[in-house]
Amino acid sequence: MSSALSLAHEPVTGIRHGKLGMWIFLASEVMFFSGFFTAFIILRNSNLAVFAHGAAELNWPLAAVNTVNLIVSSLTMAMAILSLEHANKSRFQLYLGITFLCGLIFLIIKYFEYTAKFSHGIYPGTSSFFGLYFTMTGFHAMHVFAGMIPIGWILAKSFTKRGYHDWERVEILGLYWHFVDLVWIFLFPVLYLIF
Amino acid sequence: MGAGLSAAEMQRNYVRVFGALMAFTLLTVIAAKLVHFPESWGDASTVLHVTIGIVIAIMKAWMVVYIFMHIKFDNPYLRVFIYVPLFLFCVLVFALTVLGGPTL
Repeated sequence: MSSALSLAHEPVTGIRHGKLGMWIFLASEVMFFSGFFTAFIILRNSNLAVFAHGAAELNWPLAAVNTVNLIVSSLTMAMAILSLEHANKSRFQLYLGITFLCGLIFLIIKYFEYTAKFSHGIYPGTSSFFGLYFTMTGFHAMHVFAGMIPIGWILAKSFTKRGYHDWERVEILGLYWHFVDLVWIFLFPVLYLIF
Repeated sequence: MGAGLSAAEMQRNYVRVFGALMAFTLLTVIAAKLVHFPESWGDASTVLHVTIGIVIAIMKAWMVVYIFMHIKFDNPYLRVFIYVPLFLFCVLVFALTVLGGPTL
């Protein structure tokens, strides 16, 4: 093992640089979203009625569909990595394709949720609840979109003649994608359900 | 990846976690929308709803991190990236709620 440690691995822990970098980034992402969650806690404590009223306006069945959507995409992402590790190209393309599609459906549903709010005259400035609702779900949707770019790129590349074989890289992308699912796991009950 | 587990075993792990995540999603919706505590409980019923929602979310998150993100199988050093931000987040929430005035 020690002789195999090259530039590609952190010398003390033996973790691949790319993976270590992604985990450091994810730790900073936890802090990024923590800011919003703590803002939510503070504002909710002093505006309980506003928050309960705001949450009642949200379309929780749509959010539940999106929750299922992201859980499916997390499963297919994990399966895609496993398939690529075992050089099963067609399975890899199928699973990664479903992952991409789930991300797309998530954003489409989010679009309908937002436009429904706008058509009812509800905007980020409507109340402290909706300010946080749009900020938190907006940043989360941006994360979904950002994840879909490399997913789509790797998927497209796998169809080229040279193909795509670096499963360890897709595993790192998977870490990010699972994290985005994880943020939604908390956003769903906090914004839509607990009032 | 998977500490000597075969592809079939890893797949079984993933599908099990997927099933559990779906079940917990259903559970959290039922707990929030169909379970109503007596009116006389007042604020306690809200606290209970919040607690149930958060506890279920934490269990779901733990499964995602442990199995999907390979923390169970991967280099143990990586666990520091779970525990450090988690600890900081808990300190933050504790400081703002328990120490920071009226709570609910």
